[in-house]
Amino acid sequence: MKPILLLSLRQLGSRWRLLLIIFLAVLPVALSALMSALASDDSDYAEEFTNVIIDAMIIAVIMPIVTMVLATTAFRHELDDSTLSYLILKPIPRSLIVLPKLLASIIVGGLFVVASSVIATLLGPEGSGQAVLAVGIAVFVGVVTYTTIFTWAGLISSHALGFALIYVFLWEALVSSLLEGVRYLSVRGYVLSIINGIDGDSFSTLDERVIEFPAAIVGVTFVTALFFWLTVRRLRRMDVP
Amino acid sequence: MTISAQSRESVATEPVIDVCGVSKWFGNLVAVNEVSLQVYPGITGLLGPNGAGKTTLLHMIAGLSGPSVGEVKLLGEPVRQNPMIYRRMGVMSEHEAVYGFYTGRQFVEFAAQLHGLTQTNTAVDRAIEAVGLSDVQGRPLRTYSRGMSQRMRLAATLVHDPEVLILDEPLNGTDPHQRIEFQDLMRRLAGEGRTILISSHILEEVEIIADRILLMVSGKLAASGNIRAIREKLDQRPYKVRILASNPRSLASALIQTDAVDSVTIDPDEAIIVLSRNVSALQRSVPYLARELEIRLLRMEPLDESLESVFSYVVER
Repeated sequence: MKPILLLSLRQLGSRWRLLLIIFLAVLPVALSALMSALASDDSDYAEEFTNVIIDAMIIAVIMPIVTMVLATTAFRHELDDSTLSYLILKPIPRSLIVLPKLLASIIVGGLFVVASSVIATLLGPEGSGQAVLAVGIAVFVGVVTYTTIFTWAGLISSHALGFALIYVFLWEALVSSLLEGVRYLSVRGYVLSIINGIDGDSFSTLDERVIEFPAAIVGVTFVTALFFWLTVRRLRRMDVP
Repeated sequence: MTISAQSRESVATEPVIDVCGVSKWFGNLVAVNEVSLQVYPGITGLLGPNGAGKTTLLHMIAGLSGPSVGEVKLLGEPVRQNPMIYRRMGVMSEHEAVYGFYTGRQFVEFAAQLHGLTQTNTAVDRAIEAVGLSDVQGRPLRTYSRGMSQRMRLAATLVHDPEVLILDEPLNGTDPHQRIEFQDLMRRLAGEGRTILISSHILEEVEIIADRILLMVSGKLAASGNIRAIREKLDQRPYKVRILASNPRSLASALIQTDAVDSVTIDPDEAIIVLSRNVSALQRSVPYLARELEIRLLRMEPLDESLESVFSYVVER
């Protein structure tokens, strides 16, 4: 597994991609620092911080975009360059090809997105250890789940990035915020629910937008396991160029 | 690099590669059509023009794609969805892409590690030495010439010492000297009891090293067997030759009288089109007759030396 992990980290670490991810990761930190400096006496500060920085910026936009950029290319590189056969023609279970590919995307994406969300939370109004832990764990879980979904998408379509964008902005951002039931089938809904479940006091403003904490844990586990299985199945059955 | 006596014994009695009634289609396009064949130890050449279905067939034999119908077995086991078969099998695909950021040695090491080899350094040294690239193994692959890259890919294919080798157009990009070295290496590997299946669209390339030929045309297995038998069949075909001369009608009349010529026609451009089964005799006759008749020869060229015409002829028979 280690050789494929190291290969994948090297493939994902292109300069332009890292620059984009660093730029996206710095945005919430900078905005959080700005909000903190400008609105220290504002009574709505805590609510605005949760709504704008944590939900709208990190969870709804930056986390899916960063994981999308990384995970959709995890296998797409190999398919476009016709190098996937170097992995497929080896005596290793297909799950041990998928797993390091996922891990590489999670390591690169998780590193920046989790660090960004943790620092932004520390600079915000609810910078307690519990709040930081809640955001850090939930965002990491979100990165893992999105990575499995987008890795599968990258394996089944050469237009995965386009489909992933439509999915994130239509389903996760628009439909899930309008229809309550969709939150049970939304990664964004799971992540917000985990934050709220771990630290309900600091993030009480999310109460209206979350599902039950156990349901979120079950949902996120199910979706991650489902897309991991779908990816392995696809790799077993597909015609490799 | 020798395979065990037990393995040799087991593969000698039954086909190493057994393709049974295999077809593969993509939408309406039938790429491989009801092909059945067996491959035994030694070197077998899979020959056919571009687009004949060789790569699609090799992909199915290698387990990279599944047949639409039929079955492929390698060493008695199904290949598709059976990754452990790759412990005994080495495949070099036609795609020449490599991980350009790896050095040649890192690339072969990567293959060795994925094969789970314990003595990685020894295996890598041996494979790189076999392809004669020890002196450039530390250079990144992106700096390699096409021929060098092909040979390093071959080293990665050989690193786990496989019993069965499937090589798709392995000589692409290699120079004549490298081809001779490759042929020597293949003969040595085959001499050790291995089964080697090599595809090519160049007849002469395969003819030199293969014990047996599988000839594919338009997705079908057109002929198979001993190289000499197929070659003789090819030699019986009439060649078409176009001749431009200062007085084509007089030369055509003279040519039709010779034994070397099957038929003669004159096309609208006043060129003589000759069908002949004895091209060497024709080559001697034409200048002789032209001199006798005081006709100036302007041009003489074969019209159908392409493999496609050769293969078409074999199939039509």
